[in-house]
Amino acid sequence: MPSRSIDLPQGTLDLLILRTLSLEPLHGWAVSERIQQISSDVLRVQQGSLYPALHRLERRGWIKARWGTSENNRRAKFYELTKGGRRQLEIEQDAWLKLTAAVSQILETA
Amino acid sequence: MFLHDLFFRLRTLMRRPAAENELDDELRFHLERQTAKYVKSGMSQAEALRRARLEFGGLDQVKNECREARGISLLETLVQDLHYSARSLLHSPAFTACAVLTLALGIGANTAIFSVINAVLLNPLPYPNPQELLAGRQNESLPNLKDMQRQTSSFASSGGINISPMDFTGNGEPARVHGAYVDAGFLATLGVQPMLGRWISPDEDVKGGAPNVVLSYPFWRDVLGSDPHVLGRAVRLSDKTYTVIGVMPRDFSPPRELADVFVSLWAGYPEAAPERGVHFMHTYWRLKPGVRLSQAQAEIDQADHRLAEEFPDTERERGTVLLPLRDRLVGNVRPALLVLFGAVGLVLLIACANFAMLLMARGVARQRELMIRASLGARNGRLIRQRLTESTLLALAGGAVGLVAAKTGTTLLLALKPAELRRLDAITMDARVFIFVFAISLLTGLLFGLLPAWSASRGDIAEALRENARTTATGVSRSPLRSFLVTAELALALILLAGAGLLIKGFLRLRSVDPGFNPANITTMYLQLPGTRYPKIPMQNNFRRELLERINAFPGVEAAMITDLPLAGNYVAHRVVVDGQPPPAVGAEPLVQVLSVMGDYFGVMQIPVRAGRDFTAMDREGQPRVAIVNETFVRQLLPGQNPIGRRINWARADDPNDWMTIVGVVGDVKHSGLNQPVDPALYSPFSQNDEAWRKWMTLVMRTRLPEARLVEDVKKQVWSLDNQIPISDIQSMDDLLAVSVAQQRFYMLLLGSFAALAVALAGVGIYGMVAYRVNQRTHEIGVYMALGAQQCDVLRLVMADGVRLALLGIVLGLAGALALTRVMVSLLFDVKPTDPATLIGVAMLLAVIAMLACYIPARRALSIHPMTALRGE
Repeated sequence: MPSRSIDLPQGTLDLLILRTLSLEPLHGWAVSERIQQISSDVLRVQQGSLYPALHRLERRGWIKARWGTSENNRRAKFYELTKGGRRQLEIEQDAWLKLTAAVSQILETA
Repeated sequence: MFLHDLFFRLRTLMRRPAAENELDDELRFHLERQTAKYVKSGMSQAEALRRARLEFGGLDQVKNECREARGISLLETLVQDLHYSARSLLHSPAFTACAVLTLALGIGANTAIFSVINAVLLNPLPYPNPQELLAGRQNESLPNLKDMQRQTSSFASSGGINISPMDFTGNGEPARVHGAYVDAGFLATLGVQPMLGRWISPDEDVKGGAPNVVLSYPFWRDVLGSDPHVLGRAVRLSDKTYTVIGVMPRDFSPPRELADVFVSLWAGYPEAAPERGVHFMHTYWRLKPGVRLSQAQAEIDQADHRLAEEFPDTERERGTVLLPLRDRLVGNVRPALLVLFGAVGLVLLIACANFAMLLMARGVARQRELMIRASLGARNGRLIRQRLTESTLLALAGGAVGLVAAKTGTTLLLALKPAELRRLDAITMDARVFIFVFAISLLTGLLFGLLPAWSASRGDIAEALRENARTTATGVSRSPLRSFLVTAELALALILLAGAGLLIKGFLRLRSVDPGFNPANITTMYLQLPGTRYPKIPMQNNFRRELLERINAFPGVEAAMITDLPLAGNYVAHRVVVDGQPPPAVGAEPLVQVLSVMGDYFGVMQIPVRAGRDFTAMDREGQPRVAIVNETFVRQLLPGQNPIGRRINWARADDPNDWMTIVGVVGDVKHSGLNQPVDPALYSPFSQNDEAWRKWMTLVMRTRLPEARLVEDVKKQVWSLDNQIPISDIQSMDDLLAVSVAQQRFYMLLLGSFAALAVALAGVGIYGMVAYRVNQRTHEIGVYMALGAQQCDVLRLVMADGVRLALLGIVLGLAGALALTRVMVSLLFDVKPTDPATLIGVAMLLAVIAMLACYIPARRALSIHPMTALRGE
């Protein structure tokens, strides 16, 4: 399985976290699971780098954390998107789409 | 955004333990879930846990990254670094004590001098709007002062003051007090109001004005017992009765005079008030707002010009200069203080160099620790920051200790201070001093901590590791930074030593100046006859003669009198004409010191008679007038001529035909100070005095009797003649001599101790370097000795570098001294700032000290046993 998956390109982790959290508040483990699931196990999140990213986003005010109860009845830290985070998500999504479109165009035509 | 960021960081920092727990919980939760997931997919619990952990990576590293991501790092690492530094400094108390003490010496010396400079040069003068206040460089007579006030428009106000001793009677023993003759404008100029009552009004400040007196606070408190009903009370001063109309505030003092009582010049000294030629008042001026000094000076110049034309008799040589008041007060100590400040600056630099070397040595000793931390992932920046924290912590501790040292130091300074630094009494450690100490400590810690931190972090860790395998030393100990510091230290120490050497030499020269008399066993005291009861010259002289006879009747006492003592700072000057010389222009006649004597003055003072004869008992009232002049008088007024028998008279004398005949020439006496040139002087007998206002005298008594008993006996005789005459200024001639050189002595002692401090610090610096090197090269020396090296070879090996650097530093210091000692020229007496003997002397002294500082640690190298050294590997 690991051989099939690819590591995340630099800088995309923040975007994926924001996107994942835009649907519902999640705790860290669920974020990594969700990313893996949705990408059909293609994208593998370095678990070690997930948490620093979460804390960084929290510091920037794009997500906020609160303690809640997990699906297996354990205390867990849930992250949710703030207003600023939603705006940031739009900006980054936009930029990403533009980037990938441009890259695809080059790949197709060149 | 930024605010959120800062707030977030701060909150994280505040609730740090909670945040740490939360982080632990969060990551543990993740691992549990991941493990559970793998267990579900069929792994054993242990296998699942192992897998989850492997995927996660280093737990501590992730935690660290999280912390950094949360932004705790900046503030928290500071706290961490402080904590770490404090702990590691406490673990090496010897190092810490050395570093703190070194800096405390440097910072303490700087703080002490800075607080003096702060008090003398920086603190505002204790008068409102002091920037408007000016002072005349020359003294002025009251008529001139009034004319200048009338003829100028730049000044809001101006005033004059003259301090004369006054006798206060009617309160037990007659006491001499500092009387101030003032005009009405004096206090308004300073902008101060009396605490009680009022100041002298302009309509009292005229001929025949009401005799009123304003008291100083100390006089009111100490002499009149803080009498609340003092206004209107009568006070007897020098046989006149004054009415108290005011008391000055507690903290008031005239700018550069000491005064107990203030009376109008017209009331206190009506004879002098209308005399245009009696230039004896200090003048103070207050500029109108917005008027510049140059405008005011231009107006004064015009007024001078008019006065000179109108009154050529007395005012021919006018040239009034107005100075900002502060310049007038401290103009002569400013260069000295700045030189001292420069000197302590150099001391601080040397202390800093030692500090940096201490840090470097510590850095090397801790190399293994630093390497371990580096290989554990601590980044270079972090290591530097940590070391900076440590050095700053040390510097601040040094500053704190230095502040305490400075407090002691300034107390010491005050005890030694010469009269010129009177404003030092107001010295306090104010906010400015604290800011200075804090700033200088911080700067020292950062700057001199950065040097070694930077030089150490540059060193490649891998290389250091390789070196560490054998002897760490060579690479690090040969560091150019260390060599530079040692060289610089010695150069700076030499500059200071040269400055101190020059001052010492100047002082010795000054002390060896022949004052022109023999000060040993001479006791003096000052008396003044009240003009009201001794208005006539014969009455005054009867008193003098009677008193002198009685004192000379004491066994073992030889006594005489003179108007003003040498070195005491006063004299009367008159213009004279010489018979047979073409009369000079009016007002341009030569000015000579006029001193009246009675008794065997030259014999008692042991002033040699060079030609002609001494005064005799026959030279008295009714006899032809005679005079004795000093050698300078002859040199300047009668060059190449025989002075004996020549006749002189006061310029524009009442009786131009009543000549004085010169009967003798005596040796020059340093009347105005040992470092001052001798002026032409004329001695005449008191008994032929023609000026009743010269009613004071100083007794000089040569005796081996105990001074206290003599003084008691003399007092008894004085008061048996007249019990209303106070006696003051009782002092031995030796004391007077010491006081006259106190200022030079003060600067010499200060600069001398700074130089000693500098040399000690530099010596410690070079000692430390050599000792360190011997320590690092133990192995090499052991091999060397095992191969048969002689003791002198070993010594050469370990001392060579130190000696070379010391000599280089001394040569550079000599160059620096040649360039810098010029700023001291105003402090030196009879010594050139480039005096070769002094410079060579101090260079040799420092070389010897440096050699010793190298030799003592180097000797330890000789005791290294080859086998022990090799086994130590």
